[in-house]
Amino acid sequence: MTIEQRVDAANARVLEIMTKSRPVWVDVRPAIDVIPGMTKTTILTPGPGIDPDRVTPPQRTSICGAVLHEGLANSMEEAWSMVERGEIQLVSSQTMNVGNAACMVTSASMPVIVVEDKIFGGRGFAPLHPGGNPKCLRWGLYDEEVEHDLRWFRDVYGPALGQAVRAAGGMDVITILSKTAGMGDENHNRQPAASMCLALQLIPFLLDMECAEKNAVIKHFSANDRFFLHVMMAGVESITASCKGIALSTVMVGMGGNGVEFGIQLAGTGNRWYTTAAPKIKGTFLKPTYKEEDLIGYLGDSCVTEVWGLGGMSAIAGPAYMRLTGSNYAEARNRTEKARAVSLGEHTFAPVPWEDMAGFPVGVDARKVVGYNILPISHGGSALRCGGQGGAGAAELPLGCFKESLRGIYAQAKEIMAREETE
Amino acid sequence: MSVFVKIEKGKYIDSLETLYASSVLAEQNGIVSGYVGVGTHAFLDTVRSSGLDSPDLDSVTGNDLVIIAESTNQAAFDAAARAVFASFQSETSAQAEESFVSIKAAVQKHPEINLCSVSVPGEYAYGEVKKALNAGLHCVVFSNNVPLEQEREMKLLAREKGLLCMGPDCGVANINGAALVLSSINNRGPFGIVGASGTGIQHVAAILHEAGTGVSQTIGTGGNDCKDAVGGIMMLMGIDALEADPETKYIALISRKPGDTVLPKLLERIKTCRKPVVALFMGCDRKAIEASGAIYASSLDDCAIQCLKLIGVDYPLTTEEELTALAAEEVKKYAPEQKYLRGLYTGGTYMDEAANAMIPRIGTIYSNCPIRSDWKLEDSYVSRENACVDYGEEEFTLGRPHPAIDPGIRKPAILKEAMDPEVAVIILDFILTPPGHMDPTGFVIDDIKMAQQMAEAEGRHITFIASVLGTTADFQDKHKQERQLREAGVIVCQTNYRAAVLASEIIRQIKEG
Amino acid sequence: MDCEKILNLFRSELITVNVGPKLLATSLEMQGYKAYQVEWKPMAGGDKEMQEILDLLGGVD
Repeated sequence: MTIEQRVDAANARVLEIMTKSRPVWVDVRPAIDVIPGMTKTTILTPGPGIDPDRVTPPQRTSICGAVLHEGLANSMEEAWSMVERGEIQLVSSQTMNVGNAACMVTSASMPVIVVEDKIFGGRGFAPLHPGGNPKCLRWGLYDEEVEHDLRWFRDVYGPALGQAVRAAGGMDVITILSKTAGMGDENHNRQPAASMCLALQLIPFLLDMECAEKNAVIKHFSANDRFFLHVMMAGVESITASCKGIALSTVMVGMGGNGVEFGIQLAGTGNRWYTTAAPKIKGTFLKPTYKEEDLIGYLGDSCVTEVWGLGGMSAIAGPAYMRLTGSNYAEARNRTEKARAVSLGEHTFAPVPWEDMAGFPVGVDARKVVGYNILPISHGGSALRCGGQGGAGAAELPLGCFKESLRGIYAQAKEIMAREETE
Repeated sequence: MSVFVKIEKGKYIDSLETLYASSVLAEQNGIVSGYVGVGTHAFLDTVRSSGLDSPDLDSVTGNDLVIIAESTNQAAFDAAARAVFASFQSETSAQAEESFVSIKAAVQKHPEINLCSVSVPGEYAYGEVKKALNAGLHCVVFSNNVPLEQEREMKLLAREKGLLCMGPDCGVANINGAALVLSSINNRGPFGIVGASGTGIQHVAAILHEAGTGVSQTIGTGGNDCKDAVGGIMMLMGIDALEADPETKYIALISRKPGDTVLPKLLERIKTCRKPVVALFMGCDRKAIEASGAIYASSLDDCAIQCLKLIGVDYPLTTEEELTALAAEEVKKYAPEQKYLRGLYTGGTYMDEAANAMIPRIGTIYSNCPIRSDWKLEDSYVSRENACVDYGEEEFTLGRPHPAIDPGIRKPAILKEAMDPEVAVIILDFILTPPGHMDPTGFVIDDIKMAQQMAEAEGRHITFIASVLGTTADFQDKHKQERQLREAGVIVCQTNYRAAVLASEIIRQIKEG
Repeated sequence: MDCEKILNLFRSELITVNVGPKLLATSLEMQGYKAYQVEWKPMAGGDKEMQEILDLLGGVD
């Protein structure tokens, strides 16, 4: 077989996993109990791995907050010096099959959503979505109130949700997406339909559980129309877990930003990040007084949803979100078409009624991105330099990391060719 | 007056679109001169050599769109740049309907596609043609500057697959009634044409149309097909196909002199052809051609006439005697110092044909691409004595589309030549084709009228002689175009050759006094 | 030579895919023939290193 044929075969395998996997939300457990390799001093951070001296201010707040939350330090300053000394280890979450949205981090005791892919066996994780309060660790904010919420999540909310979802025998992500197809979600930045559908199925089990704060749990859960995002992120991580390491595959299986750099991962080289300077999300500011200088670069892992064909990739499925990106229906269609031009497959479980029941593309091939010079557009939210969410919108994925990723697969191909020659 | 620049990073636009955009830019108020293009070295060289430069150009790459112009002020430039972007916009919104990233993607969605038209820059043509042939598509390749080796390779692949590969450098082909690339729209009829000269095919087919008959198919092979390096592969395949095609009753072949190894192959093939063949192989021995059983044609006009004879149609072309008489009428009108002709051509084949017709009558014809190298104009923008200029040459078209599409390149020359007190005759050719200018004669009619008025005011008379290549089925309508010219006092000849004979006969008679 | 494919073309409705300026596709549409447009760009935006890599890895139609 030629290298091209082998790349094509590897990609076909990855695509099979992406389109035939069956992610099911099965549990909520403390991170240290379920994430392989997690330790008490590990802090999982979004996007490509980052050295402490480059960490952005809001990210630093959430890292230190998590260290305090774990009881490993007594002050933010002490926490940070532990990070600098390496006593606390920062690890890129996607290399552990974890997704941390925005500035969120995962520490040992935090409850994480556990999603299992019932077909290929991968497991993925993500912290619980914090809910409606804009003051949260997820947006780089930490104080007494945030700490109070984190504890309630750890001690009450997480265990309660875990109990309910176990009692329900799991929540099938594909079923939720299928049922809510045509309800206007692109499922990265907008998912009220999926969140409601999930609530509809889970609330009966929440009602039946043993929990002293049952009402508070149900109120918090049912009031959060973005809850499904983090389930979906864990779901995508459960899928990409099985894709990573399929040699020579040029399909994108990870992407995210750390505020400074934006990176992607290709199936062929697994957890290796290919990075470039982080683009900024362009769209709408949450307050008109914000300016572009107030924002830091692309941050967070929520765009793993895009890896699996959601968000900007399926923009046509959620045209209502386009308003928030300062754009329109034609551009939604354009985004999906751009994605289709560089993708290898199509999801068929959630057809878009106003697109003549077409599905949406999945499996971005870095070869096509570079070769055609067509850049997929990701949806996303942006963080303020001082912490908090600044805006929502979209960003063109930077070409640089795709080129870098092809250099990686090219080197792998050359190695394989050299090895086979000596054999 | 200063130079303004606008650069759009990472915005690639196809060269013909940017060429079109350059003409949009040039039409805007307050723009003296300017270019739109992708920042390749070739483009930057063109821009700089035209005297436009800016430090901003140093950082552009081949993936950036550049608009640069000399303009009266920033506001005028900004408005012009907006107009340029608007021209792209209308382009993109139309494309948004359905467009594809590759031939393969298009064929997957529409497996009924059977022809691929390739007009990418020459260095990329081979790759795209291979993809198309491998996808089972016939090809028409307008791209030029394709190395002969690659041309041969693509044609060998086409032959192996039994597919047509018309071109590279194929400007004219009519398949199933469709005018491809820069062809004219023709009636269907019993004549199949294979030609290595685009203008040649278009010319013969247009006369067949005018005479009330038409073409079954016309297969352009590109000008290099009959060279030894390519081997006449497509010419031979074309003959095979037209011989097998039940709609084709007669075959016409048109080429400049085929290569020494190719000519015998063609003649051998003609010998076994079961259908009548008219052969115009310019500069070839009549006997050799007739020995193959073909009907010999001596010129483009003659090729059409010989075809028409086969179906018993007599198509009278103005005779040389008639042209001589017409010339005698014109000669009376000039001022004493008027003694030269100036030919302003948009087609190279036509200019060559004209120059060859003129030389026996009046000798030296200066040109930007002359018949004899010592007749070359020092400056293509400055004519001398009897001169013909081909505005389709690269020196004029760099940065702009071919004059058939954008006749603006030739337009200023009309008044300029008319101002020369020694000029008596100005010759113009017009080419009609679907992608061409929608009213090419109307585009210059005011210049012609003004030239005549200015000359009259100074006691001179300018004779304008024109020919229109095209048909009544063309969107521009040959007859309408001719009428428009006649109404402006232009003498319209039936063919390019006849226009050249008339013009040079006038000059000869002036000289003889 | 076997002319079957060429004769097939002559017998079929002409349907073109246009690789190059859209103008040529539009011209065919104006004549009543179907034409589909390929938005052609030089591979990898003309990046020679990437072209070399893609020559090996393929995937770009």
